[in-house]
Amino acid sequence: MGEKPKLIVNGVRTDGRKPGDLRSLKITAGFLHRADGSAYLEWGENKILAAVYGPRECVPRHDMNPYKACVRCRYVMAPFASLEEHGRSGPSRRSIELSKVIREVFENVVLSEQFPKTAIDVYIEVLQADGGTRCAGITAASVALANAGIPMKDLVSAVAVGKVDGELVLDCNKIEDNHGESDVPIAFAARNKDVLLFQMDGLLSKQELGKAFEMAEAASEYIHEVQVNALKEVYEKKKAEIEGENNGV
Amino acid sequence: MKIVVPGESVGDAKNIPSTYVEGGKARATVVGLFDEQEGRLVSLQGTYNPRFDDVIIGVVEEVKFAGYTVDVNCAYKGFMSSRDCRKPLRLGDVIAAKVSSVDEVKNVNLIEAFVLFGGHIIDITPTKVPRLIGKKNSMIGMIVEATKSEIRVGKNGRVWIRGGDTSLAARAVFKIEAEAHVSGLTDRVQAFLKKEMANGSVAGIAELSERNDVEGARQ
Repeated sequence: MGEKPKLIVNGVRTDGRKPGDLRSLKITAGFLHRADGSAYLEWGENKILAAVYGPRECVPRHDMNPYKACVRCRYVMAPFASLEEHGRSGPSRRSIELSKVIREVFENVVLSEQFPKTAIDVYIEVLQADGGTRCAGITAASVALANAGIPMKDLVSAVAVGKVDGELVLDCNKIEDNHGESDVPIAFAARNKDVLLFQMDGLLSKQELGKAFEMAEAASEYIHEVQVNALKEVYEKKKAEIEGENNGV
Repeated sequence: MKIVVPGESVGDAKNIPSTYVEGGKARATVVGLFDEQEGRLVSLQGTYNPRFDDVIIGVVEEVKFAGYTVDVNCAYKGFMSSRDCRKPLRLGDVIAAKVSSVDEVKNVNLIEAFVLFGGHIIDITPTKVPRLIGKKNSMIGMIVEATKSEIRVGKNGRVWIRGGDTSLAARAVFKIEAEAHVSGLTDRVQAFLKKEMANGSVAGIAELSERNDVEGARQ
């Protein structure tokens, strides 16, 4: 990892952002043709592909639940996703944990009782990583689920707050993550700000945590807006196309 | 009409399909078109959910002693009892059947199987089936008239097409699926059919059509 660089100089972070700034966020819904629902997300240098399949037959059958659908999640980082060697692709200690916490996020919003005996599969592939991939993964997967037409109570938007050089910063990138003092990823349900994921690496005081929470909550509103626009764009694009043709004639 | 996303408020009316009520407010559960006047929410995506009395198009997937397991384009398999079949079905048969019952664990029973010989099946999003059929079969009637194809539409989003200009019919169906959420669809489809007919539509699948694979497999 090397020497710790200076992460905040004159109130500006390594990538030129202010402490309360998000990186640029772009989401495309319906990105994959063969998946039931999908989304491609670019958040700063993060590039993530999320695909949803289902509800479909639950295999293996011992996972099947006669009362509700089984939500399954697979978060994986591509071997070429970051500067460090990730070795082979496939589950690692880290990705198994992330798959579990992400699955629990979606178990809370998907109306799984409507589809007994089935499975809903969520695949999150991190193609390029630059810190905050679990939040980016949740944000993308939430769009993919809605794009698949799976009934859910709400969209989920997630963002991390970190502490670097003694200051709270929103949406850490990789350098800040590696050399910072703390990192707190939080996922919110958009409608009532229910907390669906809350983790903390490192240490924060009670006051700092409160402030971090508020920062994440405010940022989640913008993220939600981007998600909504991505979902609506799928249909509005077609509509605009047709209206353009009509005006042309 | 406006597009809503999961969690978005759709007023305070109860009992709208595809919504839930929380704190006196109805919220959408799917991405869909919400009609403010009529208070109706139509999902734009999603898999088929079997219901009583639906006519669906399925493919026989397994032959058992008691009956047949039928793939009905959803997470659940349909079951067609041999007792309700006049003639035995065969593996791979395409059938139109009616859903006679669905229980709480989604065991789907079928009756009134009608074997469809030849033809092609294509899948569309089940929520767009009403749009494909149109008011009093207007939309589908228009396609049949133009292409001279035989068309059957299942509630499960399966469309069976035989004879005539199958290629054009299939393209028209896919066009309807893609543009179902934009108003003025009937006129657009009419124009599309007219234009394609004038161009002497390329009968791609049509030539293969009559008496195809299904019957070939039987011999």
